[in-house]
Amino acid sequence: MALSRRDFLADGLRVSALVPFLPRLALARRAEQAERRVLVVLQLSGGNDGLNTVVPHVQDAYYRMRPFLGLARGGLHALDDAHGLHPAMGGLGELFQEGRLAIIHGVGYPNADRSHFRSLEVWHTAEPFAPAGEVGWLGRMADEIARRTPGSMPALAVEQGNLPLSMRGRDVLAPTVRDPQGFRTQGVSEELAALRDELLKARSEGDLGFLREAARTTYATAARMSAITSEPSAVDYPGQPLAQQLKLVAQLVQGGFGTRIFHLSIGGFDTHARQAPVHADRMQQVSSALTAFQRDLQATGVADRVLTLAFSEFGRRAAENASKGTDHGQGGPVFLMGAPVQGGLHGTPPDLDELVDGDVPNTTDFRGIYTLLERDWMGLEPSTEVPAMPLLA
Amino acid sequence: MSRWNAADAAHLYRRAGFGAGRERIERAVDRGRETALEDIFSRRTHEESLVRGLRPLLALGQIEVLAAWWMNVILRDTAPLVERVTLMWHNHFATSNDKVNDVRLMHGQIQLFRDKGLGDFRELLHAVARDPAMLVWLDGNANRRGQPNENFAREVLELFGLGIGNYTEHDIKEAARAFSGWGLDGRAARFRDQYFDAGSKEIFGQRGNFDADDAIDLILAHPACARHIARRLLTEFVLPEPTAATVYEWARILQEEEWNIERTLERLLRSELFASPAARRSRIAGPVELVAITVITLGAKVPARDAMRGAAEMGQSLFRPPSVKGWDGGRTWIHTGSWLARHNHLTAVARAHGERVDLASSYGRPAHRGQVPDAALALLLPEGVDPSFQEVLARAAAESDDLDDALRRVTGLILTSPEYHLV
Repeated sequence: MALSRRDFLADGLRVSALVPFLPRLALARRAEQAERRVLVVLQLSGGNDGLNTVVPHVQDAYYRMRPFLGLARGGLHALDDAHGLHPAMGGLGELFQEGRLAIIHGVGYPNADRSHFRSLEVWHTAEPFAPAGEVGWLGRMADEIARRTPGSMPALAVEQGNLPLSMRGRDVLAPTVRDPQGFRTQGVSEELAALRDELLKARSEGDLGFLREAARTTYATAARMSAITSEPSAVDYPGQPLAQQLKLVAQLVQGGFGTRIFHLSIGGFDTHARQAPVHADRMQQVSSALTAFQRDLQATGVADRVLTLAFSEFGRRAAENASKGTDHGQGGPVFLMGAPVQGGLHGTPPDLDELVDGDVPNTTDFRGIYTLLERDWMGLEPSTEVPAMPLLA
Repeated sequence: MSRWNAADAAHLYRRAGFGAGRERIERAVDRGRETALEDIFSRRTHEESLVRGLRPLLALGQIEVLAAWWMNVILRDTAPLVERVTLMWHNHFATSNDKVNDVRLMHGQIQLFRDKGLGDFRELLHAVARDPAMLVWLDGNANRRGQPNENFAREVLELFGLGIGNYTEHDIKEAARAFSGWGLDGRAARFRDQYFDAGSKEIFGQRGNFDADDAIDLILAHPACARHIARRLLTEFVLPEPTAATVYEWARILQEEEWNIERTLERLLRSELFASPAARRSRIAGPVELVAITVITLGAKVPARDAMRGAAEMGQSLFRPPSVKGWDGGRTWIHTGSWLARHNHLTAVARAHGERVDLASSYGRPAHRGQVPDAALALLLPEGVDPSFQEVLARAAAESDDLDDALRRVTGLILTSPEYHLV
């Protein structure tokens, strides 16, 4: 039986009782600090196999349902007595031991849908009960930041694909950086740039005005970014695209670029067939990239103002399929990384003897994590009234 | 209506094809609109060498190679309307090699659009339902009696045939049963009786032992279908947001023309709506058309592979639409990253003057620097621009080192101006 909306709210209310009441002065101070805080969101596109990421190795059912894909206890990186991280996630295992990684079990949304499109829409807009609108949860925050700090660049996507719905604001046009070296504008001499700026000066309505705004934003960003990214990094990053993209994010945070919301994504998690090598590769890429990023932030003294969220649109079926892969499921683990997090395992651990339609159920509403990030971390309006999960130290 | 002029001709060539160079525009202005239409509708053949060169390319099995080949076909400009329509159907029946993973099947589908795309839409839709790439893309090959796969049924109703709101979930389930039984035998589509669900189905309230062709016929007979296709033609060829009344009118005309796309387009391109100010420069150019229009208008010799990659950088990889919905288009084409890609690609074209393009010849050989702005605008933005725009170009020309430098600078400024990115 799927969880109803009421179950979720009831669960949320229980959680909210744990949040301590904050005096007004503390709130004001918190708001001031919050203005420098950064949120990095990493989307694992395709539906990450949560049970082979955070492995419940003490449950016999795990090995019974996954005769081929089950990961042997010995290779895992211990989290607690009952769970271990995928063997390729050694770096994140260390961060977990240091208390810089929170892992939330069974995160999902009510009325789970196994469609990639629909699930992503829900995660992107924080709206599980209505058709998706055109504004995403990160875009909404970007709009609010832009209203408070006009002329800033609140949000930036660093990826190959198109701008995800989560990053679309009503007003803010979040730029996308494709090259991990940052923006590069070719063939523009200084005098030509001045003339071009003049061409773009005129305001107008409709698509022409929209294009002019996009062009102005682009040239301004490129100039600032190239100044910052010429600085060397404090740690060595792997050469893989995700790591290089996170390196750029670190440089921008360290260099005072001013952007507060970053979005990245890595694909290849839709592992319907021959999952093991592909998934191991993605686990390795994600772990090594996030670890280098976190170490870099720590080395440069900015770790206390950066939080990183890693999520996937859904988990996968508990049982493997006949193609040595796994099909679309429901709940999955969410990672929250950073110096300010309350490290450890949170939420309800999956019980493989209590599956819902063959899936790990959604036991934690992702919107509670969003509220935490939006209100308690970023100091902005939350998307929904779902109470925040208390995950900050 | 005012006299047929260069702006009218450029509008027609940009929409019905991928633009035209100075000489073709001049000829069109001299001889009138009917001659231009005749030129567009009559050029239908692809160069022999291109067609012959395809076989070894397909053997490589790389989709980028096939995408570059298609871009080359577009840039050669020997069958502009055919390629324009083919690109439209590629977006309409959006199929990605990311899943199909077979270059020959992808080419087969595009060839289907080339062969039937200007003909009777009803034939095209029937053919798409059993197109091998489509059978893989939307899991038709996995749709069997007792184990229905609804993927194709859902999209043929939602995206290919009717549009959302014109059918029920029940229609999808039942249509999926009607589409069952098709699969691939090697690379050929084959109907396998033992997998076909021969039972009675109910689609749009009608009951029968429907098969795939029956289901397609029911979709075609649904009143929303002609409107859906008329809307596609209007948004592709005329303006991005046609009114409901306009859609109804052209749905009627489409049916009056017995679903013949070519005859419907002949009327559409002659219509007052097409010539109206509301239609001019009313759409944000997609990457493929932007790149192609630039090359063809300037008569540049940009290698097809560079053009293909340029478009991909801007967010449109041929044979790899982002989803079965195709490219969303409009403002979603534009963000800082994609504007940067547009800037960099088009600036490179302007700077290639003297190597890959002779801009002096493109513009009719302006005699000195001072003539460059007007000559360039006459070809690239013949609708005219604000005085402040003209003034900026005049300064760019005046500050340049020589004629060649002026050609590069002025061209670069025009190609990267927002005005140019509206088609």
